[in-house]
Amino acid sequence: MMSWRWIDLVPARLPGALAVAVARDARTGAAAGWLVAWEGRARPTPTALRIDARAIDPNGDAALVSLVLAPAGVSLPFDDLAVQQARRAVLARSTPAAVNSTLLRDSSRFMGALTAIRDVAGGLDDDPFARVFPARRLLVGAGLLGTMPAPAGPTIERYGSDQPWPWDRFRAS
Amino acid sequence: MSTMVPKPSTTLAPASRFPDIELLDHAGNPRRLSQLVAGDPIVLQFFRGFWCPKEQAFFRRLVALQDEAEVAYSRIVSISVDAPRVNAAFRAGLGARWTFLSDPDRAVQAQLGLRESTDTLNDPYVPAVFTLHPDLTIHAAYDGYWFWGRPTLEELRRDMRAISRAIRPDWEAPAAGP
Repeated sequence: MMSWRWIDLVPARLPGALAVAVARDARTGAAAGWLVAWEGRARPTPTALRIDARAIDPNGDAALVSLVLAPAGVSLPFDDLAVQQARRAVLARSTPAAVNSTLLRDSSRFMGALTAIRDVAGGLDDDPFARVFPARRLLVGAGLLGTMPAPAGPTIERYGSDQPWPWDRFRAS
Repeated sequence: MSTMVPKPSTTLAPASRFPDIELLDHAGNPRRLSQLVAGDPIVLQFFRGFWCPKEQAFFRRLVALQDEAEVAYSRIVSISVDAPRVNAAFRAGLGARWTFLSDPDRAVQAQLGLRESTDTLNDPYVPAVFTLHPDLTIHAAYDGYWFWGRPTLEELRRDMRAISRAIRPDWEAPAAGP
């Protein structure tokens, strides 16, 4: 079972997507583009990032999203202490988000995170990953984001170096 | 008036299979034990409640262990009869980053036969710790009614090592190539 998908925020709908939803700035309502997910090994766009496969659901409802992305030309090792601490802070939450996944460029570089909630009182104001890279607050339409089980904890490590966190198991051997 | 106490429907001894129970987590979501375990060894702890000094002392032990468990592909789950919000508050106060489960109607407690019969005020779980394989086979069972019956950190480490050795096909590091 493949544990990750690709995701990207792009200015226009693209063909071949697994799921897609329109994105708007949560504060101003201004169009922010299309959030698009793909399956497959090959990177579909130059800026697409790996996301936990459980985050994506073409039948998912609309959500309020914190999209944390590294500035252009910047990335961190996944094991950077700031990224470790953000993972711990996610696990320490009392109210888990509907979706929470790190975003990876490849098997070693952390490029951001996506957190989604449907209950606006659910605590999106404090996104631990927003202390690592800048966060955008988006309203994302239906058809892209599902609901993941909250990570059981306390594991902050990835289950194989190419897996986004919190994907929670090794491949069956 | 007679009170019917259900007989436990399972045996919680090493080599037997722990029931795949389902309870609400500290955020109120239904969670099945097998889902929380995924493919990892687990320390499964039943505790009386936040009010018990022995539990407070034992939780300090588990909180110390989580710094190792978080990098060792191992899980911890704690279960009490307290409501999810009470468990959430206790968890936050402890700084625990694992899942707490709630059994306020004590149905699972009856199924497992883990009611502390000497506390008729709170009807809590009798303190108990199990270390489990990912398929929920019990590796070790610890009766924590007396505090010294609880596992030490060294015993938990040994259990996690033994289970990991048994389930990880690459436990022995691959030999370096020529």
